[in-house]
Amino acid sequence: MALNVVVCLKQIPNPDLQFAIASDGKDIRRDALNYKINGADEYALEEAVRLKEKHGGRVVALTAGPKRTEQMLREALAKGADEAVRVPMDDAGYDVGTVARILAAAIRTIPHDLVLTGVQSDDQGNSATGGLIAGILGMPHASVVTRVEAKDGGLEVATELEGGLQRVYAVPLPALLTIQFGANTPRYAPLPAIMKAARQPIREIAPTPLSPPYTFAVRALSPPVAKGHAEMVTGPIEEQAKRLAQLLRDKGFVRR
Amino acid sequence: MAAGRALAAQSGGATRVAVLGRGVRALADALAKLGVEVLVAEDAALAEYTGDGYAQAVQGLLESTKPRLLLVAHTAQGYDLAPAIAGAQDLPLVTNAVGLRLDDDRLIVTRRLLNEKVQAEVEITSDRTIVVTLRPGSVKAGGPAEGGTVTPASIAVDATRVRIRFERIERPTVQDIDLAAADIIVSAGRGIQKKENLSLVEEFAKAVGGVVGASRPLTDMDWLPKTRQVGQSGKTVRPKLYVACGISGAMQHVAGMKDAGLIIAINTDPTAPIFEIAHVGFIADVLKLLPATLKELRA
Repeated sequence: MALNVVVCLKQIPNPDLQFAIASDGKDIRRDALNYKINGADEYALEEAVRLKEKHGGRVVALTAGPKRTEQMLREALAKGADEAVRVPMDDAGYDVGTVARILAAAIRTIPHDLVLTGVQSDDQGNSATGGLIAGILGMPHASVVTRVEAKDGGLEVATELEGGLQRVYAVPLPALLTIQFGANTPRYAPLPAIMKAARQPIREIAPTPLSPPYTFAVRALSPPVAKGHAEMVTGPIEEQAKRLAQLLRDKGFVRR
Repeated sequence: MAAGRALAAQSGGATRVAVLGRGVRALADALAKLGVEVLVAEDAALAEYTGDGYAQAVQGLLESTKPRLLLVAHTAQGYDLAPAIAGAQDLPLVTNAVGLRLDDDRLIVTRRLLNEKVQAEVEITSDRTIVVTLRPGSVKAGGPAEGGTVTPASIAVDATRVRIRFERIERPTVQDIDLAAADIIVSAGRGIQKKENLSLVEEFAKAVGGVVGASRPLTDMDWLPKTRQVGQSGKTVRPKLYVACGISGAMQHVAGMKDAGLIIAINTDPTAPIFEIAHVGFIADVLKLLPATLKELRA
């Protein structure tokens, strides 16, 4: 059962960085950022390549973003994607509806049995792009997928609920799945594949003009209001250790 | 519901709560005691959650009630359902909101971005229903009130258009302790750097009479079984003492432990979000602080 898989990848600012607000208050400062592939998307890409390796077919890695996202697409090629496609545009921005509509329009032009996305992006945290695309394209979908198996001409998927419970569903194709962290173990790209990917062309699909039925604007970005009242302990380790030991004794968690 | 009622009161509208499923009358009655109009959509095809089945029912309700806003909890099920409805019906969507308010005809939504490090206020206007998912716990729940009603919603779900089929539930099979029952939890995060350093965390946990928990990245790497994972997709715990060792405090983790009695956090990054909810924070390398503290405790 060969599968044509489109996997949507997003390049995000490294979430471990410190972030400053731009002077107009409507974006973060982008001058000192470095970027990486969104965490959950690594698992989506790995799942796509595994399904292809097991069942045959093709994997197309798709992103909507600026030129620097080609680096991420080349890494996807090196990890087993057969083709890389970019919809040239600025970074995704703050409106998930825009990105989803652009990606859905691009996916319509790519033959697909299965579309994979990560469960959410670590920068915007919408957890919505995959579901939106599925709705726009009229495809059945399942979210927070931890396991995918081909079965009876379709798929059997396990979806994760809060508390660690899994619900298992039979999903017909074509379908869209959003893939959860830990669904598999993402591979490293071997060096020969990296070198080959450096020479591979990346196809561009122009973004479709959109007229969404709403207006969206960022009013303001700000550092979150710090509500924390933590007593902060700093200084030499020995002093901190004394303080921690004292705290544990005072509160009765260890004997004096 | 509390958010919906506040917005409805502000704009002079009404709030209705939809309960979907089969055999859900008891839940509907309980919700009605909070003073809201509850619409019950019951159908055999809704007995188990499927995106298709629930979307059909909600879309039927949207057509009959034409709400300004559709509010859904931002849970795994909520963010499976709401975006698909918004996509299929071409509706505006904002998810994972921590705050909502109206400013004339504009909906102002507050969101947290970039590992809780940036707060964004966005505004949406539309003639169509705006779909919003709201982060659980971000709005204080209301109490009982008068005036609640329960009304059956005449929704028919076409089972032939439900493409996904529920098969079964699976529970974790690992025989392990029940983290949720522990009084003291010492949790390890990526700050412990190597799997071998778990023994240090275990030693410390033993010294304080606790058990070892973990943030998601560690269980994804199989350093600990999934039954040890604390967080939104793992266990929610309320121990007397929670020590977060090298855990940054991403929202998904904090959701699982923020109600612990005493929260001690150890992290080298003073801006780590864990310090927002910790009672006592230590800016230190956990791999140095734990041995030093063990030494103090044994002195």
